[in-house]
Amino acid sequence: MRKYAVVFRVSLSERMIYRGDFFLSALMHFIPIITTILLWQAIFDGADVDKMGGLRYREMVSYYLLVMVSRLFGSMPRLAAGISTDIRDGELRKYLLQPIDYIGYLFMLRIAHKMMYMLTSLLAYGLVFWLCRDFLPQWTNPWIPLYYITSLILAFFLGFSIHCVLGLLGFWFLEVASFLRIFMTMHYFLSGHMFPLSLLPDWLHGYVLWLPFAYETYYPTMIGLGRMNTDQMLEIVCIQFLWATAMLGLARWMWHRGLRRYAAYGG
Amino acid sequence: MQVRYGRILLRFWKNSMLRELSFRGHFVVNIITQLLWVAMTLVFIKVIYMRTSDIRGWSEHQYLFLLGTHMLVTGLFETFFFTNCWRVSELVRTGGMDFILLKPANTQFLLSLEQIDYSAMASLPIAVALCVYGVVEGGVQLTWGKTALFAGLIVIGVVLLYSLVFMFAVTSIWLIRQTGLNNLWFYVVSVARYPSEIYRSFLGGVLWFVLVFIVPILLVANLPANVMVRTFEPMQVAYLAIVSLIMLGLSSVVFNFAMKWYRSASS
Repeated sequence: MRKYAVVFRVSLSERMIYRGDFFLSALMHFIPIITTILLWQAIFDGADVDKMGGLRYREMVSYYLLVMVSRLFGSMPRLAAGISTDIRDGELRKYLLQPIDYIGYLFMLRIAHKMMYMLTSLLAYGLVFWLCRDFLPQWTNPWIPLYYITSLILAFFLGFSIHCVLGLLGFWFLEVASFLRIFMTMHYFLSGHMFPLSLLPDWLHGYVLWLPFAYETYYPTMIGLGRMNTDQMLEIVCIQFLWATAMLGLARWMWHRGLRRYAAYGG
Repeated sequence: MQVRYGRILLRFWKNSMLRELSFRGHFVVNIITQLLWVAMTLVFIKVIYMRTSDIRGWSEHQYLFLLGTHMLVTGLFETFFFTNCWRVSELVRTGGMDFILLKPANTQFLLSLEQIDYSAMASLPIAVALCVYGVVEGGVQLTWGKTALFAGLIVIGVVLLYSLVFMFAVTSIWLIRQTGLNNLWFYVVSVARYPSEIYRSFLGGVLWFVLVFIVPILLVANLPANVMVRTFEPMQVAYLAIVSLIMLGLSSVVFNFAMKWYRSASS
């Protein structure tokens, strides 16, 4: 266990070098939010209804703000691409020779990155959320904070394991990068990043909500919005856990299968 | 000696084509991502217009036409200029600019047009299809005059985007390392995609004023779309044309000024 703690510490201090960069890029992330808020204001102003997909204007805006928080936990930039290049370029050898588990190593690395990112972007997020405080939901159900944090952490696990699976495809395919681009485009829609999935017509809604991607962004965000009752929250968290475990299991399995193929190349 | 720019340009395009042909996959992947993107956006627009009939005066078909126009302008810019602008900071950092300065032709010309990103062209037919759909379904009366003006405004828009982004890229001569260009472009794209009217309600219209009159990126897609499917405002057309020309001139002034600071890298 100590070696993973070392990985964590080293990458934590590595990240500290770029803290200035972090603050700026975290703040930049919010620029499209302004456009989104204005677009929804325009949409609601012209509409004949005061609710869309069950959300009022104020809730719609905070949906997009809370999506930023969900993505803060669930997004895994460069993870899948990193794994597939490690496989392709033979960099994987380095890790196989060390008494360390590759996925476990990536996991610690990612936690360190995430924690550092959250610490450095805290100021930026605090500022934006303070400016938008009138839009934010008031939690009436005392269970929300507990479930919200749990579902965000599970969103992290789920995001991590999905991206591991994608990266490990590199054992079988040379060009994972183009596949990733297509995947990320669809993910933007399917996870509820683009707009709340409750807006979708019923026939489409049913399918999309079954996929694991909704559990990365849409569901945690809806919990944060206070749109779910206690039973629903429990159910969501359970399904998140199941998806995350299933994906991690799949990643493990692919890892073992893949290594058998990988050994054949050497070099 | 007379420099034959036409022949240089042709040679550039041929070279880019040869380069592109070794990465044929890019074109296919771009087509797929663009198609997906359009499909997702169409779902979004359908979902919105199921609940409202106009967004700040834009009907569904007009909105679709605006999207097509936006794709057309940004697609053309990405095809002809984005890679080149992006390369400027790289050339400054590595000292590769020396070779371009030595050549007996206009440096800005060589810098701006050396590469064509043929794979970015993938979005153009889709953009045109969207525009045609918007016009046909919206029952717009087309005239040759309107269409010609539309085409002219697209070119003017591309020129404006080029001038702005190129000037931004040139600042890397002072800053040496600069990674912000991708981000900048992403934000320009995401801001200009929407009806300009939505920005009027923000900060008492200050942002709208800046984005329409000072850095008129909002007009780049909005104005041609307005001319074609909504109302024709001659003053705005003249304004955009003049500003684009001024910006183009300014980009050359800024570039020549910045070159005085260029000190080659290493050796």
